[in-house]
Amino acid sequence: MPIDMELEAVLRPTQYPMPPYPPKTITLANGKVMVVRQAVREDVPAILKSVHPCLFIERDYYDIVSARLYGELLAWYRYRVKSEYCLMGQVDGYLVGIVNGRMENEKVGMSYHTLAIDRGLRIGSHLFAAKMEYHLEYLGQEEVLIVAESPIGFRRWMIEYPLEATKIPHELGGGDSYLLTREIYFKAKPRLVVGDRPVSQELMAEAEAEIKFADDDTIRERIAGLKGR
Amino acid sequence: MRDVAIIGAGMIPFGRRDEDTLMDMLAYASLKALDDAGLGDKSVDAVYVGNMGGGMLQRQTAIASSLVDRLNLMPAAAETVENGPASGGSAVKNGLLAVASGYYDYVLVVGGEKMREVTGWRATDFVATMTHPQAEYPYGITLPGMAGMFTRLYMEKYGVTREHLLAISLKNQEMGTLNPYAHVEMALDRGGIFDSPHAIVNNPTSADPLHLYDLCPVSDGAAALILCPLEMAKKLAKPPILIAGFGQATDTQTLQERDDPTDLKAVTLAAQKAFEMAKLKPGDIHVAELHDAFTILEIAESEHVGFFKKGEGGKAAAAGKTRLGGQMPINISGGLKARGHPVGATGVAQVVDIVFQLRHELPKNRQVQKAENGLTVNFGGFGNNVLAFVLRRVQS
Amino acid sequence: MKKEIAITAYKCKKCGKLHYPYHDRCLACKSREFEQIKPQGNAKLLTYTAIFNLPWGFDQRFLILGVAEFENKIKAMGQIKADSVDQLKVGMKMKPSWEPIRVQYGEDVYGLKFEPME
Ligand SMILES: CC(C)(COP(=O)(O)OP(=O)(O)OC[C@H]1O[C@@H](n2cnc3c(N)ncnc32)[C@H](O)[C@@H]1OP(=O)(O)O)[C@@H](O)C(=O)NCCC(=O)NCCS
Ligand SMILES: [Zn+2]
Repeated sequence: MPIDMELEAVLRPTQYPMPPYPPKTITLANGKVMVVRQAVREDVPAILKSVHPCLFIERDYYDIVSARLYGELLAWYRYRVKSEYCLMGQVDGYLVGIVNGRMENEKVGMSYHTLAIDRGLRIGSHLFAAKMEYHLEYLGQEEVLIVAESPIGFRRWMIEYPLEATKIPHELGGGDSYLLTREIYFKAKPRLVVGDRPVSQELMAEAEAEIKFADDDTIRERIAGLKGR
Repeated sequence: MRDVAIIGAGMIPFGRRDEDTLMDMLAYASLKALDDAGLGDKSVDAVYVGNMGGGMLQRQTAIASSLVDRLNLMPAAAETVENGPASGGSAVKNGLLAVASGYYDYVLVVGGEKMREVTGWRATDFVATMTHPQAEYPYGITLPGMAGMFTRLYMEKYGVTREHLLAISLKNQEMGTLNPYAHVEMALDRGGIFDSPHAIVNNPTSADPLHLYDLCPVSDGAAALILCPLEMAKKLAKPPILIAGFGQATDTQTLQERDDPTDLKAVTLAAQKAFEMAKLKPGDIHVAELHDAFTILEIAESEHVGFFKKGEGGKAAAAGKTRLGGQMPINISGGLKARGHPVGATGVAQVVDIVFQLRHELPKNRQVQKAENGLTVNFGGFGNNVLAFVLRRVQS
Repeated sequence: MKKEIAITAYKCKKCGKLHYPYHDRCLACKSREFEQIKPQGNAKLLTYTAIFNLPWGFDQRFLILGVAEFENKIKAMGQIKADSVDQLKVGMKMKPSWEPIRVQYGEDVYGLKFEPME
């Protein structure tokens, strides 16, 4: 059935204009170079393939985080969310992490989720930082609302920045949100936000050629480990 | 006193083992050691379990009694040995003395810990409970914090640099990638953790001046050994490994009450006793497993046991002298840095790794050629309870 | 109001060795009789660290701890009031105080704090 564009015009939320996130590269602890760049709407089906196996990993609340992320990305793909964006990390073309968020209004951003598909390389920290960089430096917002679902997320974001507690409700009914202000961000930036720009043509071409993703078992193994089986 | 040999050794992969309970891990490692010794369906006379945190982390006590039940080793004598991060070494020592005395013939020694049952904050708190209950613990001190204060003094006094510490992290994590039992299986890149401006995020300060990759991870794991009198070990398929020497020493609980807080007297004394009993010198050792819970400790211990002069350990490591093929290979298993540090398991795991080395059964890329004598150092508290073992391959 | 520093050190009545914390027998001569001594004056910083991976019960990003020696030679660990270790160096003069160092079971626990005087 063709999409009813008259109805869509009613259902689709309005979108704020969003300037692009300029890609950057980060050298990881193992010496590999991660390209951090913005996904386009058409990338969503490929990204969801990497999110899918994470739906079944209980460890560190990967299941909840990835279920929510899955829904949010789908909503973006099918025009059911206001001003969402997605940044991703790729190493050798392989997707190693995904972060997303949206603009609540012109001044306030909402950080959605952070999913690291490889562990022990601080990929989550790097991508979360890229997300904050996007909100405050490229979207020019005043503040970002953040919630953490996992203890690791709590420790990393709430304590490392450190964020301010608020009474603002969580978008999905979870714990109250925390707040990153411009002041906190620029104070924390020297120790948390890194990356080199511009990205060389070769690396960019490799990243854009194909969003590669490991097979389900490899992803599960990377996150949950084989140990204990 | 009888000569005591190790006739069985077994270990399970260290890491985060969500699916296993503490008892599962102790049982799996024990079975591997029993099988390795060819005692599959036989019993032992006594069992010593090294474990530090069962009572706190699992709310489980009398762990050794539970283990003999699981393994049907009844009516063997059994007890749990708690001695902080040296619990494993203490379990080995108890097994050794029991056999040496002539009282027991076959003894199972197993060390295990499940630390990832709790979040990092709780694990850090658990480890910190070994500090002084009034003069240290309430302040929020942690073991990495103790190591940080020690490192600052050691750097100042002996000229140890970050470059030296880095050599240890790089070497041990590289070796970890070759060890199927290691927790961390990722080689580090100097650029990624030090040279690049991105290192500030990849390798942040953890306990100044120590950084993340100067610390061992928090691990689950278990390792086990079977001991018996050397006389009874001679007809077995695998070469028996003699526990040729052993030493243990203690020191003050707080660093500030030591005359020289950079002097790890208990390490020196434990190693001296072990060498004396084995009638060997540091120079006779071909391979060593030192307690590198923090990179500085590998350097400091390599000096205190007598491999290098004070102030030379860091330089030796940076010059590659402690790598495989070097003058004194140290932590070829990856050490605590990469193998991981499930506290109660470590002292046993170190001995297991040296047994593998002395039996010459490791793949070429991590076998020290013609290794005949090995040393382990298991460091408890902040050097206030240390055990050392000298192991020797018995010529048949 | 400034609180008195509630630390007691123990001076061996036989050989004069100073102890903190308490030991039942002298670390030098094994004697069991001690004179109780209070820390006096300012302190000299002997070593320090900033801990970023804190145990349960500490919600801040990092905590600076150190060991310092009082004018009457008592050595003790304390929390350091500084924004960064860059403000510290071994040997510097520190002002001691007795203040809340953590909360346990809903109550303030008091202990030593040191503040750089330079
Ligand atoms: C440094 C430390 C706080 C890091 O903890 P963290 O940032 O919470 O790490 P995470 O739990 O997020 O670990 C994520 C991954 O990073 C890697 N990692 C964590 N710590 C590491 C370390 N110290 N070295 C190398 N890799 C490490 C692991 O691959 C880990 O994967 P896993 O979950 O499969 O084990 C922790 O390792 C620590 O406390 N170490 C000291 C332990 C100690 O003091 N032991 C007692 C000594 S006597
Ligand atoms: Zn005395």
